[in-house]
Amino acid sequence: MRRRSSIILLSKTKMSSMPRYIFYIWCSLAYVFLLSPLVIVAGASLHRGSRYTVVQFPPTELSLYWYTQIPEAHWEALSLSFGLGFLSAFLACCLGIPAALGLVRSRIKCKALISSLIRAPMQIPTIVTGLAFLQMYYLFGDLTGLYAHGTFVGLLLAHLFVGIPYVVGTVVAVLQRFDNRLEEAALSLGASRWRTFRRVTLPVIMPGVYAGGLYAFMVSFGDVPISMLLSVPGYVTYPVELFYGMENDFNPAVLASSTIVIFLSLGIMLVMQRLIGLENLLRSDGNRN
Amino acid sequence: MKARWELILIPPLLVSVLLMVTSQVIFLRSSFYRDLGYGGSGTEFELVNYFKFFNDTFYLKVLWNTVEVSFFAMVFTLMFAFPIAYLIARMRSKWGMVLLAGIVMSTFITIVIKVFGLYIMFSREGVINQTLLFLGIIDQPFAIIGNEGGVVVGLMHFTLGFGVVLLFSVVQTIPRSLEEAAQIFGASRWRVWRRIIIPLSLPGLIAGALMLFNMCMGAFTAVALLGGGRVYTLPVLIQRVVIMEAKYGMGGTLSAVLLFSVLLINILSLFLLWNMRKQRMIVV
Repeated sequence: MRRRSSIILLSKTKMSSMPRYIFYIWCSLAYVFLLSPLVIVAGASLHRGSRYTVVQFPPTELSLYWYTQIPEAHWEALSLSFGLGFLSAFLACCLGIPAALGLVRSRIKCKALISSLIRAPMQIPTIVTGLAFLQMYYLFGDLTGLYAHGTFVGLLLAHLFVGIPYVVGTVVAVLQRFDNRLEEAALSLGASRWRTFRRVTLPVIMPGVYAGGLYAFMVSFGDVPISMLLSVPGYVTYPVELFYGMENDFNPAVLASSTIVIFLSLGIMLVMQRLIGLENLLRSDGNRN
Repeated sequence: MKARWELILIPPLLVSVLLMVTSQVIFLRSSFYRDLGYGGSGTEFELVNYFKFFNDTFYLKVLWNTVEVSFFAMVFTLMFAFPIAYLIARMRSKWGMVLLAGIVMSTFITIVIKVFGLYIMFSREGVINQTLLFLGIIDQPFAIIGNEGGVVVGLMHFTLGFGVVLLFSVVQTIPRSLEEAAQIFGASRWRVWRRIIIPLSLPGLIAGALMLFNMCMGAFTAVALLGGGRVYTLPVLIQRVVIMEAKYGMGGTLSAVLLFSVLLINILSLFLLWNMRKQRMIVV
């Protein structure tokens, strides 16, 4: 039966091969559109030219010159971005895991409301979040004398706010497929509650945690509006540094440092793929809402 | 024993709600105070900023611009995202996942870097313009900065990855066997699309479309960089009003208008769809 149907399908595809090709071309066009800017940035960073005709793709004078010219400010901004990203992703996991467990397993009435409250930060435009946090810090500063904008803690709090929903989303997705009998078995064999969580529950939900943590990290790492409103000149994240650089004077060294960031992101993706597999990483994302 | 799960929900909920409610309340409140210049604000509670917004054609035009570019970006994103999502979801080999990873990878790179690439791509001497000029399709180079076309391209870069991942999970819920059955009974590929794939994915498609639209409405970076100071949307205007003019009251008002217009458009479109469904114009 199976074989017969595929034979019929084959003859069908032969007959309608023209639209099929258009379909494939259309899809590959989208890939070209999505990925070519990255390839172009990486390619153009290898071109050595005089200051005003520098940007050229494909590169004609290959050199790593611009990689030696990356300004100190970029490295500082990058380390701030990494620190913020890692810490906010980690804290988002610390808060997101209990939130997801509570959401899936508790039996309270207003669960839908609580769930949408926890996920709401994802729906608020980031520029509004930035402005709201800035106002909150001003008010808090006026009351206590502690101004949080332009500090690491101030940035961290806002990035954490945006990151939590991603972790909750992915962990809830994993928990909904969780087989409760695993825990019951551990408990009935005499494991304590905490031990059951650490040895049974946590390993099973780990793919969701990694995926959510990765999203939280990437959202924090790529964010411009929140960091821009909450930072002060001289203490900015990497994307904000690039943003200001673009509005003012174009330094071709940004292409070099951008290329480094592209490869770092690629590396993080590959490590994640090793850790939890591509399928886990991608599947949990679809269930975000 | 059972109370445990409610208890662990409390700390994260407390953090989320505390941060959200306080920040949102504070900025909404600030939108009711008059700006006195140099970052100062009045002490009287009044609607002056809102009057200013709704009586000034500039602000209204910006609101309309925001809706317009978001709408076009959403439509074009769907036109690309749905076929790709379908293609990947129907692939039998491991390559489907690799293709999807390529998409996710591109969404992970900060939009600022991608805009660099777009600048170079569409520069006057760049590959695309030279080819199009050579082929005689255009008679003068297409500039990507400072016009709405460029902004839509930038927004698509921002949303396409999310769109594919969203629609991928929608297409996955449609059983492949339905399509095969229709084909065995002689339906053409086009007919299968029209009668099976599109109707069955419509609920997910609509939800996805609204989400993409919301993303575009709130998008700042791509619009700010590609608009080049000539295309204004609400997020760009908010940044300008707050950072350059230090008008926190007006910034708050613009943010409130942005939030509520997104909310309103979502409710309206859901209401329209619900009506259409009641009259059986579409099957959702």
